[in-house]
Amino acid sequence: MGWLNRVVNVFRPARLSRDLDRELSFHLAETIDRLIESGMSPEAAAREAARKFGHRPLVTERTRDMDVAIWLESVLADLRYALRALRASPGFTLAALLSLGLGIGANTAIYSLVDTVIFKSLPVARPDQLVKLAMGDTRNDVFTNPLWEAIRGQGGIFDGLFAFGSDRFDLAPSGQARMAEADLVSGRFFSTLGVRPALGRLLLESDDRRGCASLAVVSYGFWQSEYGGRQDVVGHRLSLNQRPFTIIGVTAPEFIGVEVGRLPQVYVPLCSEPVIHGAPGMLDARSAWWLQLIGRLPEGTTVVQATARLAAVAPGIFAATLPGNWGEAGRRDYLKNTLAAYPAATGFSDVRQRYQTALAVLMGVVAVVLLIACANVANLLLARAAAREREIAMRLAIGASRGRVVRQVLTESILLSTLGAGLGLLFARWSSGLLVGMIGNAETPVSLNLSLDWRVLGFTLLVAVSTGILFGVAPAWRSITVRPHGALKSGGASTTSTRASLAGGRILVVTQVALALALVATAGLLLGTFRTLTTIDPGFRPDGVLLAQLDFGSLDLPQPERQVVGRELLEQLRSTPGVLAASGAVLTPVSGRHWNGFVEVAGYQPTGETDNLVWFNGVTDGYFSTLGTAVLAGRDFTDADDARAPRVAIVNRALARKFFGGANPVGRRFQMRGGDDHATPVEVVGLVADAMYRSLRDTLAPTVYVPWTQAEHFGALTYEVRSQGSTSDAVNGILRAAKAVLPNASFEIRSLSGQLAASLARERLLATLSGFFAGLALLLALIGLYGTMAYNVTRRRKEIGIRVALGATRLRLLRLVTGQAGRLVLAGLVLGGAATVAATRLVQSFLFGRTPLDPFTLIMATTLVAAVALVAGAIPAIRAVRQDPQAVLREE
Amino acid sequence: MPKHRNDILQGTLALLVLRTLAARGRSHGYAISEHIQRISDDQLRVEEGSLYPALHRMEQEGWVRAEWSMTEKNRQARFYTLTPAGRRQLAEEQENWNRLTDAVGRVLRYA
Repeated sequence: MGWLNRVVNVFRPARLSRDLDRELSFHLAETIDRLIESGMSPEAAAREAARKFGHRPLVTERTRDMDVAIWLESVLADLRYALRALRASPGFTLAALLSLGLGIGANTAIYSLVDTVIFKSLPVARPDQLVKLAMGDTRNDVFTNPLWEAIRGQGGIFDGLFAFGSDRFDLAPSGQARMAEADLVSGRFFSTLGVRPALGRLLLESDDRRGCASLAVVSYGFWQSEYGGRQDVVGHRLSLNQRPFTIIGVTAPEFIGVEVGRLPQVYVPLCSEPVIHGAPGMLDARSAWWLQLIGRLPEGTTVVQATARLAAVAPGIFAATLPGNWGEAGRRDYLKNTLAAYPAATGFSDVRQRYQTALAVLMGVVAVVLLIACANVANLLLARAAAREREIAMRLAIGASRGRVVRQVLTESILLSTLGAGLGLLFARWSSGLLVGMIGNAETPVSLNLSLDWRVLGFTLLVAVSTGILFGVAPAWRSITVRPHGALKSGGASTTSTRASLAGGRILVVTQVALALALVATAGLLLGTFRTLTTIDPGFRPDGVLLAQLDFGSLDLPQPERQVVGRELLEQLRSTPGVLAASGAVLTPVSGRHWNGFVEVAGYQPTGETDNLVWFNGVTDGYFSTLGTAVLAGRDFTDADDARAPRVAIVNRALARKFFGGANPVGRRFQMRGGDDHATPVEVVGLVADAMYRSLRDTLAPTVYVPWTQAEHFGALTYEVRSQGSTSDAVNGILRAAKAVLPNASFEIRSLSGQLAASLARERLLATLSGFFAGLALLLALIGLYGTMAYNVTRRRKEIGIRVALGATRLRLLRLVTGQAGRLVLAGLVLGGAATVAATRLVQSFLFGRTPLDPFTLIMATTLVAAVALVAGAIPAIRAVRQDPQAVLREE
Repeated sequence: MPKHRNDILQGTLALLVLRTLAARGRSHGYAISEHIQRISDDQLRVEEGSLYPALHRMEQEGWVRAEWSMTEKNRQARFYTLTPAGRRQLAEEQENWNRLTDAVGRVLRYA
């Protein structure tokens, strides 16, 4: 019945303690009786009994501690005491709670992002059984539809296997496009994942047959936002890329697709791909890589076994799907491919790939901020512990055990960190939405559910308790080294332990300065990188240029007519009021899409297999003048450069430099060869300045521009429109012009500068957050240093007063007092320099135009930290030497 | 920190208390300490600072039961009785003790 007793005892600690008292009194009384019997006087017996008995409160306390209930009671008492102590010094409490709240909140927010993006399994049945298929290497995980059909034909390896391709469909019937994230999925997509419908039914294997009906499943969120959750949505028509689809069902609310960060709103069967993209589509294209494959392992099968079985069937699969139009080398490579399975419990994620390292860096940054905050709180607690030395000594002297005192000090730290964590959770809730917003952008929204679940709460709790212990250890250690005798005698300003606490405080300050320097330097590099990238000359002028993308696939136009319509729309745009210049292009800069091919120049010997692989683009006349890229030699394209005319090209300076030795290439010839193309001879008719192609970080790469009418194939044309006046006027102008030519087409419109900014989302995130946290770290370090200095100076008031009275000059005194701060800061900076070397190396891959040890950044960071530190140290020092010596000395 | 004087080998106090209760039956704390001291010819002295925490813990473990009652001298005292669980515990601890002393004895004789 032991446990029951303990539980019952929780509710009657008072009775328990009374019992114990009576029991001990009885014992004492019996002892006295016995002593009197042996001939002692009653007084002497009482004295002797008390002596023999020992320290009665100690016995009581030790007996009481045997009891869980009593233990709980004493914890409550400790908590009450700690709360009272915190309330008694609101300034200290506020400073500590704020630093902890910000530190823990930042950690929680970043961790919730890391957890969602990197660690969390997909919310589907048994995610541990899911594997993704790849060709040998885990990154090589995109397949063609013929490959998928061949792999699907191999039964028995998986307990369910499906393919999906991510896409974006236009919901608008005409006019300005409204894009929705969408997945083209094979028949067993939902059944393999074990997804249930919230309404209607989901796609089945029988829905995925060539020439299938246009059916669609929508997500729960889409059902709510587009249809207000109407029950009769099943059977409704939905326009996708201007084709009618019939809604057959809604997915369960918890289903978020298989790509973390991308929430598909619409699912259509793979077989409807030709309908979506226009005939002939990609179903039989052996060179169109657009599908990802996921399988479910049967119970008891391991990834290794599945890989072995896949490898066994791979040669047959690749032989059966060999692209006929590939060159000799390409075919050989294709047949060398093999198949393998990789664990896919966490699904796919583009966001994960792009942000994994960046998130790791941020996690490190916020951890350092928290460390600095901890150092601050430890410092504050140490200073307080010094002030409470007498109290602790008194408690020890009247018989409190040291364990009890340590527990009490630790209770106070953990109470602080827990309250800080509560504040931190509020901060994290508020900021995590902000974080997701910074990762995504209007064009590719990122959908992440960062609600606080038990994993994040567990993390926060862990952080809170460990930080509480971390900054509580120093004061706790201090409290058990207190010598009651000395502390009580010396009247407060005591000797050894105070010196020890000052040493502790100094170590903390040095650490803070070092960590702050490492953070400031790292943030400086990231901010500098972002600044360079935003101010870099991209080779064109993005301001005032709108991009309007026309998707031909949905228009059912054969290739020649596309050119006619495209030309007609271009003329219409150019005659629209407010439009300064307009052009069209297959690709736009930094759009995330690229087109590359080989060039063969007589007299140029490629140094490697991909040495002569260059970027391509197909453009209309006026492309360079619209974007503001200078034509350096030769001519622009004209209407005469059409499909029947001789092949011509305009090259950029980088290409001329590399392949033509820097000479004017106009009039020279070369061969160009794309993936499926045979070599085509072309004549260079123009030379243009270099411009960014794929990313602002790229070196200016060799690029070939061909007339869009001579480009082999294109599914979309993007118009570049430079106009004056407001953006909304420009958008309306474009839509009016478009309606006049193509009343049924829809256009996706965005700005070129927006497209550039979106390509820097990761850099912006890193720069903004690391800058913010470095500032926070600096502020915390400043507070820490100020606190330590102020405390030191207060302690030396008398000494300073005497020195002033004896005739020391103020300057001399100032040097004396600040000298110490200077030494601390210097030590911190040296240590910080070493930390910086280590830290900046970790962000090397994010830097642009800077080495990890960029001298300018390092000097600026060091100067900044030193200046802030000296200001923090100097203020208390100046105040100290300004004081009136008489007043100080009279205080005694 | 002052060293706590412990005349009884750590861990054997419970054994001694259990044995005493088994031999004497219902007893209060003072009688238990007296008994141990007397039987051991004053070789073992039970400190109050150890006895009451130990009794309390044994009560929590369910080895002894405690109740308030009057002594012959008409004083209120807390009397302890062995429970069946306490008897089992006693047998176990006695066994352990015998093993230990036997082993120590062997070492002292032959090592």
